[in-house]
Amino acid sequence: MSDLRVAVDVGGTFTDVCIFDDSTKEMRVTKVPSTPSNPMEAVLNGVARGNIDLSKVQLFSHGTTVATNALITRRFPKAALVTTKGFRDVIEIRDGTKDDLWDAYSDVSGPYIRRRDRFEVTERVDYAGRLVTALDEAEARELGRLLRKRGVATVAVCFLNSHANMANELRMREILEEELPEATISTSAEILPEIFEHDRFNTAVANAVLGPLVAEYVEHLDRQLTDGGYHNDLLLLHSGGGSMTPAMVKRYPVRLAASGIAAGAIAAKHVAQQCGYDNAVGLDMGGTSTDISLIQDGELRVTKEWEVEYGHPIVFPSIEVLTIGAGGGSLAHIDIAGSLRNGPQSAGATPGPACYNMGGKEPTNTDANLYLNRLGESLADGAMTLDRGLAEEAIQRSTGAPLNLETAEAAQAILKVANANMADAVRLVSIRRGLDPRDFALLAFGGAGALHGAEVAKELGIPSVVVPPSPGVTSALGCLLVDIQHDLSGMYTSVAAEADLDDLERRFQKMESDGAERLRHEGVDDADAQLERGISMRYQGQWRSLQVPMGSGADALQQAVETFHEEHERQFAFRQDSQPVEIYQLHLRALGKTPKPAFVPAPSAGTTLPEPAAYREVYFDGSWTRTPIYRREELQPGMELQGPAIIEQLDATTVVPAETDARIDEWRNIRMTLPQTGDAA
Amino acid sequence: MTTATLPATERTLDPVTFEVLKNAFATSVDLMSEQILRTCYSFVIYSRDFSSALCDAQGNTVMQGSGDIAVHVGTLHFQCKAVLEEFGEDINPGDVFAINDPYRGGTHLNDVSFIRPIFVGEEIIGFAQNKGHWADIGGNVPGSFDVNATEHFSEGLRITPVRVWHHGKFLHDVAQLLVSNTRAPAQALGDLQAQSEATAVCEREVLRLVGKYSKDTVVAAMQETQDYVERSVLNSLKGLPQGQWETVDYIDFDPAHGEGLVPIRIKLTLDGDGIHYDLTGSAPAVETFLNSGYGTTHSAIYAGTKTFFPDVPLNSGFYAAVTADIGQEGTVVNAGWPHAVTGFCSGPYEKVMNGIFELWSQVMPERAMACAFNLEYLLIGGHDSRTAAGQYFMWYDWMAGGWGGRQTKDGSSATSPVFGTGLAVQPVEGQERLNPVLTSRHEISTDSGGPGRFRGGCGVEKGGILTDATKTVMSYCCDRGRSVTWGIEGGLPSVPHGVWLNKGTEDERYLGATFSNVTVRSGDAFTRPSAGGGGFGDPLERTIDEVLEDVIDQYVSVERAERDYGVVITVIDPEVDDYQVDYEATHAAREHIRANRAGWLKEDPAAVAHRYQSGEITVHDVLRRHGVILDWGTGELLQQSTEQYRESMQRRSAAHWE
Repeated sequence: MSDLRVAVDVGGTFTDVCIFDDSTKEMRVTKVPSTPSNPMEAVLNGVARGNIDLSKVQLFSHGTTVATNALITRRFPKAALVTTKGFRDVIEIRDGTKDDLWDAYSDVSGPYIRRRDRFEVTERVDYAGRLVTALDEAEARELGRLLRKRGVATVAVCFLNSHANMANELRMREILEEELPEATISTSAEILPEIFEHDRFNTAVANAVLGPLVAEYVEHLDRQLTDGGYHNDLLLLHSGGGSMTPAMVKRYPVRLAASGIAAGAIAAKHVAQQCGYDNAVGLDMGGTSTDISLIQDGELRVTKEWEVEYGHPIVFPSIEVLTIGAGGGSLAHIDIAGSLRNGPQSAGATPGPACYNMGGKEPTNTDANLYLNRLGESLADGAMTLDRGLAEEAIQRSTGAPLNLETAEAAQAILKVANANMADAVRLVSIRRGLDPRDFALLAFGGAGALHGAEVAKELGIPSVVVPPSPGVTSALGCLLVDIQHDLSGMYTSVAAEADLDDLERRFQKMESDGAERLRHEGVDDADAQLERGISMRYQGQWRSLQVPMGSGADALQQAVETFHEEHERQFAFRQDSQPVEIYQLHLRALGKTPKPAFVPAPSAGTTLPEPAAYREVYFDGSWTRTPIYRREELQPGMELQGPAIIEQLDATTVVPAETDARIDEWRNIRMTLPQTGDAA
Repeated sequence: MTTATLPATERTLDPVTFEVLKNAFATSVDLMSEQILRTCYSFVIYSRDFSSALCDAQGNTVMQGSGDIAVHVGTLHFQCKAVLEEFGEDINPGDVFAINDPYRGGTHLNDVSFIRPIFVGEEIIGFAQNKGHWADIGGNVPGSFDVNATEHFSEGLRITPVRVWHHGKFLHDVAQLLVSNTRAPAQALGDLQAQSEATAVCEREVLRLVGKYSKDTVVAAMQETQDYVERSVLNSLKGLPQGQWETVDYIDFDPAHGEGLVPIRIKLTLDGDGIHYDLTGSAPAVETFLNSGYGTTHSAIYAGTKTFFPDVPLNSGFYAAVTADIGQEGTVVNAGWPHAVTGFCSGPYEKVMNGIFELWSQVMPERAMACAFNLEYLLIGGHDSRTAAGQYFMWYDWMAGGWGGRQTKDGSSATSPVFGTGLAVQPVEGQERLNPVLTSRHEISTDSGGPGRFRGGCGVEKGGILTDATKTVMSYCCDRGRSVTWGIEGGLPSVPHGVWLNKGTEDERYLGATFSNVTVRSGDAFTRPSAGGGGFGDPLERTIDEVLEDVIDQYVSVERAERDYGVVITVIDPEVDDYQVDYEATHAAREHIRANRAGWLKEDPAAVAHRYQSGEITVHDVLRRHGVILDWGTGELLQQSTEQYRESMQRRSAAHWE
């Protein structure tokens, strides 16, 4: 019987494993240390630690940081760029901007392929796709010979205006395939048929440099799993919130960048769905940073503006996640003008917070939580002991004394600033979309999310907070929940009112047949295939476009235009009905539905609360309060408690502030309801 | 050392409330920027030539956007105050005002500000402002950059403070008057609306804060946020030396006075009491549009200084800690009505900023940096015969270039101008779609970085051919064709700016680094470089390996490696990057340069000009070895400019050679 579903999510410190048993409808989780030098080792260790019989696994899904790490460390195979004469520096000139506008010593990192490995060939296509200069075949062949001589393993072919006519790129590919049969070739218009040379070139370049490495990793893992008895396709989570099989990873390895970030957001969406929230904010707070995701009308926000490092865009739809430098290890400090600040500098894993007793001298959020007794001195079931005296000393010296505050007041001040910073970040992601965070629920997870979640929600005026059953391994859960997904796009510029509807329909149908072909290539049954059209539009003369769903049928475009007006008004507070609306791009999402774990709700176990495991004096709002400490595993569905309370478990600690009700729901989530003050947002 | 005077204002807010509100102000302003970026019509705004600010009830800036363009820094409060002066008591809830007046602290006419009062009940507690660069604001030339303008009348529409919304009602007639004076009224109307709406985002956020924390607390935080910034700057000065430093930089020429560089003098004083600048002694206003009004000169001073205090937020507290005497009206740095000032950005602005970099490089050597390339705009406007109607087109193009070498590393290559490091270069594919131009190249130019121990960053070369244009003219707004981007601490200059028409053909013309309304036709090819950055430190001290790596990447040619760095490299097999250093020849070359370079810098300029004309030496030699300034097209010697340039090179470069 194949009744297991397994998801493995590789993170920077830990590799998390989620195992769902279809026969019992139960989920187990386990954690093993990550092995950055050979990430596959941790995956296989996790399989072993989880006692997983691979022959019983129906579906194995995997979120990996292999691609992201390669882009950060720049450990690439020998790569080359081949481009139109006169344009070999497109990926180095970029758009010229700097991330840090004011620090003249802070530079943007260099391009993925050095100048010496970038080559030009004579060819040119104009803006409309007309051939201006044919590809010089002799030159192209000579270039192939040169690249072979240089031992190039992977090539990005990036020609100007190829989004309008990719014939020259394809011919160049053919010639290179003949001259360099061993090499991987990525052409820019096949990877991303979109206008704007830097975005398209760089996406193709990222694809090229990742190609051999990522493909090899995936192939190797696939083989190991197959050898272990797994008999289905390995599913790899990609940045768009879907997954792909090894067959497609070979063609689009760049899509695996951001694989890990997407997993947490997908899990947040799942938890929101379980709890019946259409709108929710995911707050995934770890040691050094917090990832904030947004679920609106049941869907995650998707963006095409994404990069691993500033200046090197990877233009595929990616789950929109805002990462800010606020985590358990963020350092509090008094700045040069005597003001209290929190982050973005972090104590990191070493020396870590002062209470780790590893040499850290400056107070962190973890130290403040510990000193206020929100966090216990014994973590991970006794695997780690924190030193409250060191936390006190650091807080008093660095914050309390200079601000003339009692240690407890100082610790509270540190946390308030941290919570306000996170609340500001949530405001940025929500308000800029025209959304009011007060209409949302907050999902708190990650190692530190549940410590801060309720107070961040309070700062935002959010009434409901959800803490999932295993907050520390929520990302792995995300990997269990994804479909196979491909995102296709194409340029289409026309004023909507003047568009040739038949031509538009043909373009969509062509994209649909391409999408369906990709799904078939991945072994998806036609019955499980689902194709969704989208269209990007803008008011004529505007620079940014907005993507809205597109139906089919005669009035589909007209409806999309109306949706565009509405969406523009909702997001930006104005619409311009008199202004012509212009079509800019067409999109197609091809989904191959995969079976999802069928979670079943747990029956209510009655409402009698267990005895608290202990009591601690915890500091809330200016005073120490005797507070019950519960063990999470002793709290059963249906139980309710009132704050103040602390709930501890292996991978997280949840703070339930005073005047807050907490209930364990049928999915074992902690559901907190905050008192309503009515003024925040 | 005396103790810095700290602002006397009492601190009434607790540290948490203060920090939370300070950050919330930043969020409210950034949200405004975020919205304008997503809804704007002007591609110049879209490329990030805009800024946002929250001002207090007196018009002082409380917070400026974290992604704002440098050039607007320190001008938004002037514009807000102008609205207050003009309308006084007659400011109502639901009003929105527009202003672009450069004589009321504005930048140039293209930069139009929209200002919305924030009311709590009957009381104004602040203003939300968004300022963005419209693609056209009328005047003599498309894009409104008329190099030959001497008065603002030919530059475009001057908007003194004017109301465009009244009690929440859109004043259609006023808006029409504004946008009808531009070449793209529909676009301008779109931006007018988008910018006004963006200010409403900030208003909403500030009112939310008032609801949560009370009006009094928010108003107190607005003041304390300014005090905080002033305190940050003054406290940062405590560890720095006190004294006076001065320098002079130049604009290329003033047509009213013929050949000769136009001086801008900057003196910096640190006395423990703040940061003081003195620009008196700068030249009279020039008879082109390369003048600066008081607003933009202050902006250059603040932005230049801020580069050395990157972490301090920008608001009026910063402007309180930094004072400047910019002298009487009528000079190139304090032009006044009705002098043309649209080109301030390429003229005095970049000179003041780079001069300030040079001065602070001595105060904070660990952040030292040589001169960066000059902001440049190429404008081609006419009729696009690809369309049946021969639609009007305005091709408005700017480039990235090199920044100066630094104390510990090379300059940054192909980077946006110091005038606005967030100003994005436009994609060629977008430009070709909108304009009848086929770009022939857009690439880093070899040997453009000023030689030094740490090389200046590389500049870029961009060329194109007009394909289907009729009744078309070209203008260029730049500078440093003669006052060439300089090195410091012994570093050498980069290359001159300037546009070439039909280079390498019989019709070749060198058009220079500023010109206006040159007729161009289909088939004409134009090309121009952006300068690299100036070098930092003696190029003979650059390591041989660094020069070799530069040669392999073709940032530096084999020829210039020898002539600029004295590193002799033999090419073995370039196909596999096989180059060899000839160490013996390198030693000899370096000794030769060391022994002769002081003399080269004194060689008869006429003889140097002659050797350039005959093709014996290149522009690199003329500048880097001889410090001679020529008309780069004809090779004609510019005697006075050469004297001035040599004097500056003597001070910045030769004086530091061993």
